[in-house]
Amino acid sequence: MRTSKIYLIVVTLLLIGLLAACGGDTAEAPAVEEPAAEEPAAEEPVAEEPVAEEPVAEEPVAEEPAEEMAPVTIEIFYPVAVDAPIAAILDGYIADFEAENPNITVEPVFSGGYGDVKTAIQTTVEGGGQPPALGLMLATDLYDLANAGIIAPLDDLAGDAAFLDDFFPAFMENSYYDGDLWGIPFQRSVVLLYYNKDMFAEAGLDAPTSWDELAAAAQALTVSDTQWGIQWPSGWPYWLFQPLAIGAGQNIVGESDTEVFFNDPKVIEAVQFYIDLSAEYGAMPAGVQGVWGTAPTDFASGQTAMIVHSSGSLPGILEQADFEVGVMALPGKEAGTYATVVGGGNLYIMDGAPQEQKEAAWKFIEFLTDADRAADFSVQTGYIAARQSSYESEAMQAYLAETPQAAAARDALQYAGREFSVQNLGEVRNIFHDYLQRAYNGEMSAADAMAAAQEEADAALDAFR
Amino acid sequence: MTNIAPSVRKQDVSGIPIPETGNRRRLNPLPYLLILPTIFFVALFTVWPTLLAIYQSFFRQRLNILKFRDPTFIGLENYQTLLTDERFLRVLQNTFYYILGTVPISILLAFLFALLLNRKVRGVGFARLGFFYPTIMPLVSAATIWMFFFTPDYGLFNSTLQLLGYSGPQNWTGNPDLALLAIMIVMVWKNAGFYMIFYLAGLQSLPTDVFEAAAIDGASSWQMLWRIAFPLLRRTTLFITTIAFIGAFREVDHIFVLTKGGPSRASTVLLYHLWQVRFENQDVGQAAAITVILVAVLLIFTISNFVVSERGGSDDV
Repeated sequence: MRTSKIYLIVVTLLLIGLLAACGGDTAEAPAVEEPAAEEPAAEEPVAEEPVAEEPVAEEPVAEEPAEEMAPVTIEIFYPVAVDAPIAAILDGYIADFEAENPNITVEPVFSGGYGDVKTAIQTTVEGGGQPPALGLMLATDLYDLANAGIIAPLDDLAGDAAFLDDFFPAFMENSYYDGDLWGIPFQRSVVLLYYNKDMFAEAGLDAPTSWDELAAAAQALTVSDTQWGIQWPSGWPYWLFQPLAIGAGQNIVGESDTEVFFNDPKVIEAVQFYIDLSAEYGAMPAGVQGVWGTAPTDFASGQTAMIVHSSGSLPGILEQADFEVGVMALPGKEAGTYATVVGGGNLYIMDGAPQEQKEAAWKFIEFLTDADRAADFSVQTGYIAARQSSYESEAMQAYLAETPQAAAARDALQYAGREFSVQNLGEVRNIFHDYLQRAYNGEMSAADAMAAAQEEADAALDAFR
Repeated sequence: MTNIAPSVRKQDVSGIPIPETGNRRRLNPLPYLLILPTIFFVALFTVWPTLLAIYQSFFRQRLNILKFRDPTFIGLENYQTLLTDERFLRVLQNTFYYILGTVPISILLAFLFALLLNRKVRGVGFARLGFFYPTIMPLVSAATIWMFFFTPDYGLFNSTLQLLGYSGPQNWTGNPDLALLAIMIVMVWKNAGFYMIFYLAGLQSLPTDVFEAAAIDGASSWQMLWRIAFPLLRRTTLFITTIAFIGAFREVDHIFVLTKGGPSRASTVLLYHLWQVRFENQDVGQAAAITVILVAVLLIFTISNFVVSERGGSDDV
């Protein structure tokens, strides 16, 4: 009998535990929806009594001191993709913003890399939860995000905001879809050729102005076993390949969101040039180079005379290198032509967020992309300020005087083409990577690989035509 | 019916009458209540998603294609597409090699490490820590370290190999013939120490009298090892095999860091492919079909492993 009593107690405790667990679930669910319940409250004139009936403890208390507007809390999911204290910088901006807008609270949520931010938001939306109001995601994710109904068009919020014209046009290329505005450039970069000016001077070379000069310089600066002429990462190859295609005269993507130009003779020529840098000139490691992470260090320590990399690596390289670093857009095929491509992330507003959160989020976007703040962000992180007038700010002028490379990075923008973004991007990009790497690794000829890539990509884009 | 029921109750399934005791008379609810929480969570987080995946696998649903955003029933088409897709077959092949190349080798190494460290000598604790250390590291950090190890020319892995006389290709993550191998090396390095712990625990709980008897009979240490210790550790081996096999399917974080499945999908394994289909292609139907295949493979393995282990007597170690 005694034992059965003990059993009874144990079982009861277990059941209570189980109930508590379930109770925890149910208690959480409304918390997620809470801001949704706020929605009507915000539209109603606040002169009315605070919604006292609502059992939400904190809200009425917080509402009292608000002068005009109901308090709004928005979340922003952001990635850290470069070696800079993004979190601390963002926290500083948020504090300034909240001081200006006492009714808005911004909660920054670090979510990993760009891919993780997208996955996190996607999972939230598909699971029926409420997404954050703001997300910082890749500019190229536009079509997938819009088609899946994850992001909201910004036209109504933006109105005819004049500041949109102040962004560098190249950065706005991945912001429009179906005539609507969807993303605001924030954390933007560009592909650059980094070259060791000291080595160039020693060898009596000038900065290359064409493919031929680039190849010749790379060859001249290759020292067997100890130093490469150039490193060109290709573990995730489309982005760093694009300047070659653009430099040959044909970007892999055009105006249309359902068309790619993989098997264009000029693109094939660009693939061949990459291969030739190792096969013909012996100036670059052969095959696919999974060296994205190590190339900047190799360059800064003098193990390679040139690298092709993101402008985001500039501060790290400048810090490590004990020689004069040159940066420029990549030379094109013809002498005197240059080419590069933009990259990086845009700010998006999520469609699932309630209206007053969207409005608050737009305010925060305007605040973040303010010309002076964009300048400050650029100085602190090495990202390229997305707005042209940012370069007139005092802080920026001082920075440019100190680091002329940052000005060169901005100047490269004039040669920038549109970053590879089409419908069904994930699938089409994987097809392209697949065959581009086969060509790089010598498993297929450049022409065969690009023909196969074109065929499969066309099939993958068929559903959108 | 009512007459028969009580007499049936007095027998168990085999038909042998069992002595009537007070407890056996009625169904004891206690065990069921005790596993209720487990059943609840397993049902919620394992069974339900699996059923959902089976259901979704019969539909076409592409979240990033407007006209396919709502699910349409297409029967077995997702499976047909998969099984005729050269890429998917390549992925299955990669997965097969990946498992073949990681599971047996990490288990063998784990056993050898355990033998090596199951002695009472100075510094053994330090050595154990050294072997176990990779386990406590997150796989992503481990992969980041290996990214530098694998660097051509001066990376630690390549310089070590060169010292040992290796002169082959060094581009571990970019060479289509080496990328999968590189992924396997990281996995073995990461897990061997973890499995070692189980063998170490197993070895320390082995009965000493058996070995004393064997020693008196003049058995060599080699015989003691393979004829006595290893068979006695059969349960441990089976357990490790199961978790290693499941782990090989489950752990793909290092692929994101090292190769991104490349070059040209040479190092894409099943779960990484599933992630690509679901989150890059946003193809819900096909991702569900891959999930079903994945779950089926794991179930078949786990069940057959269980059957094999139950068949072989009941030496509890």
